[in-house]
Amino acid sequence: MNFDARKYVIMAFILLVGGIYTIRLFYMQVIDDTWTLRAQEIAEKRKEITPPRGVIFDRNGKKIVSNRTYYNLMMVETEIKNLDTAAFAKLIGWTIEEVRNRFYEIRKGEGTYKNPHTGKTTSNYQKIRKYPFIKELTLEEISRIAPHLENFPGFYEEVTSMRNYPFSNGANILGYLSEVTREEIEQDRFYKPGNNIGRSGIERFYEKELRGIKGIKYIVTSALNNAIEPYADGKYDTIARQADPLKLGMDMMIQAYGERLMQNKKGCIVAIEPATGEILAMISAPSFDPNLLVGKRNISLNYPKLATDKNMPLFPRPLQAEYPPGSIFKLVQALIGLQEGVITPESGFPCDQSMVGCHPGHYASSVASGVQYSCNPYFYAVMRRIIQQNIKKNMFADAEIGLNKWHDYMLSFGLGKSLEADVSGQRPGVIPNAAYYDKWYGHHRWAFSTIRSISIGQGEVKLTPLQMANIAAIIANKGWFYTPHFVKSIGRKGPLPQYKVKQYTKVESKHFSPVIEGMRRVVNEAGGTARLARIDSMIVCGKTGTVQNPHGKDHSVFIAFAPMHNPKIAIAVFVENSGFGGTWAAPIASLMIEKYLRRKIKDKEKEKRILEAKLSNMEDLPIDEENQNQPD
Amino acid sequence: MRKNDSLIAQLDWPLFITYLLMLIFGIATVYSVAFNPENPNIFSFDEKYGKQILWLCVSLFLGLIVFLIDSDIYRKFAFPIYLFVLSLLVLVLFMPPINGARAWIGVGSMGIQPAEFGKIAVSLLLAKYISELSVKQQTIGNVVGAAMILLVPMILILLQPDAGSFVVFTSFLFVMYREGLTFDPIILAIINSFPGVKMKYTWVGSHFIPILFVAIFLSIITLILSTIEIDFFFLPFKVSGAMGVLVSLVLFAIIGLLIIRQFGSKRDRSRGTLIIVLGLVLSGGLSFGVGTGFNSLAPHQKDRIELVLGLKEDPDGEDYNRNRAMAAVGSGGLTGKGYNKASVSSVESNHVPESETDFIFCPFAEEWGFLGTIVLIFMYMFMLIRIIVIAERQRAAFNRIYAYCVAMILFYHFAINIGMNIGFAPVIGIPLPFFSYGGSSMMSFSMMMFILLKLDSQRKDVLR
Repeated sequence: MNFDARKYVIMAFILLVGGIYTIRLFYMQVIDDTWTLRAQEIAEKRKEITPPRGVIFDRNGKKIVSNRTYYNLMMVETEIKNLDTAAFAKLIGWTIEEVRNRFYEIRKGEGTYKNPHTGKTTSNYQKIRKYPFIKELTLEEISRIAPHLENFPGFYEEVTSMRNYPFSNGANILGYLSEVTREEIEQDRFYKPGNNIGRSGIERFYEKELRGIKGIKYIVTSALNNAIEPYADGKYDTIARQADPLKLGMDMMIQAYGERLMQNKKGCIVAIEPATGEILAMISAPSFDPNLLVGKRNISLNYPKLATDKNMPLFPRPLQAEYPPGSIFKLVQALIGLQEGVITPESGFPCDQSMVGCHPGHYASSVASGVQYSCNPYFYAVMRRIIQQNIKKNMFADAEIGLNKWHDYMLSFGLGKSLEADVSGQRPGVIPNAAYYDKWYGHHRWAFSTIRSISIGQGEVKLTPLQMANIAAIIANKGWFYTPHFVKSIGRKGPLPQYKVKQYTKVESKHFSPVIEGMRRVVNEAGGTARLARIDSMIVCGKTGTVQNPHGKDHSVFIAFAPMHNPKIAIAVFVENSGFGGTWAAPIASLMIEKYLRRKIKDKEKEKRILEAKLSNMEDLPIDEENQNQPD
Repeated sequence: MRKNDSLIAQLDWPLFITYLLMLIFGIATVYSVAFNPENPNIFSFDEKYGKQILWLCVSLFLGLIVFLIDSDIYRKFAFPIYLFVLSLLVLVLFMPPINGARAWIGVGSMGIQPAEFGKIAVSLLLAKYISELSVKQQTIGNVVGAAMILLVPMILILLQPDAGSFVVFTSFLFVMYREGLTFDPIILAIINSFPGVKMKYTWVGSHFIPILFVAIFLSIITLILSTIEIDFFFLPFKVSGAMGVLVSLVLFAIIGLLIIRQFGSKRDRSRGTLIIVLGLVLSGGLSFGVGTGFNSLAPHQKDRIELVLGLKEDPDGEDYNRNRAMAAVGSGGLTGKGYNKASVSSVESNHVPESETDFIFCPFAEEWGFLGTIVLIFMYMFMLIRIIVIAERQRAAFNRIYAYCVAMILFYHFAINIGMNIGFAPVIGIPLPFFSYGGSSMMSFSMMMFILLKLDSQRKDVLR
């Protein structure tokens, strides 16, 4: 048998493989560009330049959040020659041991790659790459080191930027930055390890608006590797762009003043401009200096201290603390009663103390005087008429209808749901509806008498201080509000669209006058509960509240707006465990109003009394003296 | 001896020059990839390029010795050489493992890999064995005898373990096929054991080896392409990978038919047409069957197969070699990034591990683009066909068989090494002959080549 022809089979086989490989290579290299993109992706030829974050101004154009330049000491191992470790350690103020450990730490921090085929393990660390040897050095520190760096080849300084707060106020509201987590990097391709992200407050809510646009430089690392050159002569490079500044509605002057007034107290102040919904001030006491949480070094040093502080300085009370509102709630009850037509402005109820206690010596003959005297039986009667409207014969079914109707009114006031201001972490508060009580007592097992304590803002009802201030703003506007918000403008644009929509409550404007008249009397007439809130030649309208607290001393509450005609500021003050609303919260609110509208305080005695007061069972005093620099 | 009988006159210059060109290309690529700015001199022996040149000099010196010795020695000493290499293959199993395999004898960077030299030894002995078979007849004994020569070193290599070299040893099956030692006798014996069946010859049995390998090759390509869609710029729709294979097969068949119509005799024409049509139907059916069969598998079975083929891998996960290699090759484009400008596959950037040894094709393809790779493939095609031409012109069966061994070994290295760079073969570490950095492979391939050249130069001296 002759097998010579078989050489053609073998040749054909060889040429077939060669032909197929040529076609494949033509496809891979010339036609299909996915591999080119993949190569760009993996060669890490992109160098990102992170711009400084957008700055933040207050309503008067004061820069309240800016950036400060910091320096990283970088090192490239291949360029380090004959390192005199002892001299270097002395220069940066470390021990020789610490310097050695740092080298080891950097190498280890990069992790390793294990080749599954050869079983070889190689470190991801590359001797030719730059790594930060020391991060976040201040100008003073680097200026001591930098002049001597020429003696230590392979070490460089590199500029980075971090947040800086010229005023030590508003920490809870502004929020802070920290390094992105692995999950965040996976979710959003914008971030790279080591980048910062807004962790709370405004920084978090406006993260996308503040972070800006990263610049990207494409760099070719050749096989000669040390030669790094711009890719395609920089044709595809983009320039880093800092984000537009944010302008807040906040007035840093009264924010700082409010924090001073609240020193040695626990509680909050929230002030809103009724006509726009802009938040003028939001004080959470006790607070801390925002500069304490700038940069990795500071965070790791200070965060644990702040987090374990028993006074909870990190807790943003105006947004997250849910308090029973106390008597200030009566204002809303009166408004609902009037709108429902179950009372008229002239309705009077006797101070019948069979169900609830009251202070003696008054008869509330109208809505205005009911508010003025803050008469508990009066508002029990109002609430009973709202809940039990005799629509159904069955008392329980009737209460169910009445309560749900009442609940709808409450929602229209922004209560019982998150207000959705432009700051992260807001609680909704609690406004019970029928389903809520059904769960507690069972279906048709409750009526007004069961739930009566909510009439006067006790019991199950809970509001955040932001919601309380918003009630004041609604009354000032006679029935509508803009959702409270901090940011007045983003660059040249106005606030976010959702803050330009007027929200109407279910109570018509005409019903507000008697309530406002009552609030005027509270402050300005004999028998009012907030005589301490008076300001000379200005009509302040307000309502006190004293929240019964089963765990300790009552909380002191006051909401107000001023001036009575054409209101400029609506305010809520809440001081924990301090007693009557009229004693502490009311004068604090009046001082804030006077400071905001007049810029100075006439009654120095009143101011002194507040500043010196130590209330609320403070554990160690968290606000240290140096923090009280007063901006003006 | 007349003047034109001298070595220079009788040397096959086309093959020798191709060999030298490949070495130069190889060293240039190693120099580009492993360049260290601290030792920029190409002759600095601290660096891989310097060492590679050193290995080249050693190889050329060995070549000189080969040229000086009479070629008859290889036939005479084939068995002792074989035994010597076998003993090395046993010895290597007692060496400390490097990278998980006991493949190296020697210390540090100066070690050798016995498996590399095993290829030469087996080639020589196989050539001797087959050429000395008294009657060129297919008997079970002959087939088993030849198979034993392969199997013993293959088993020893598997113990190391070195999957790459193991696979390369199956290339000798093609040599056996060329020499008529196929598995037909075994298949016939099985078939004829049925009562009443009496066959002298089965087409499948005698062409078992190429059919098997074509089937494996087609299946792997179909599997690899079955999960992707190819977007041709001149077509308005996307072509699925399996469809692409079928279309390619039809194209090849048409080309084959045209060639036969043009050049074949009348008898060849009808026979060739039948073979091609039958082959098209069978291979098309196979690739279609594999494609649909694969897609109907349960997900975990699919995963398993995809894992073995290296199809399934997280691009940034552990097994990222091939993805990076393909990125390097694919990013070369038409004209490449230019010499010394490989960005993905440079050693320092560390994206493609082993880019100076097993993955040397990456930096080459990245720097020279499609124009470079087509030249490389052409050089290999030329070398392989040239070796077969040389083989066929030998008078002595020993020479011819040995030449086929060399051709098939080189072909295997070429096909698998390039294949794993373009996603057509699983990643098994075998070098690209004459390109990859490494002393053992450089020396063994050079020796193989020099012995072939020497045998060829003396082909007229040999009478039988």
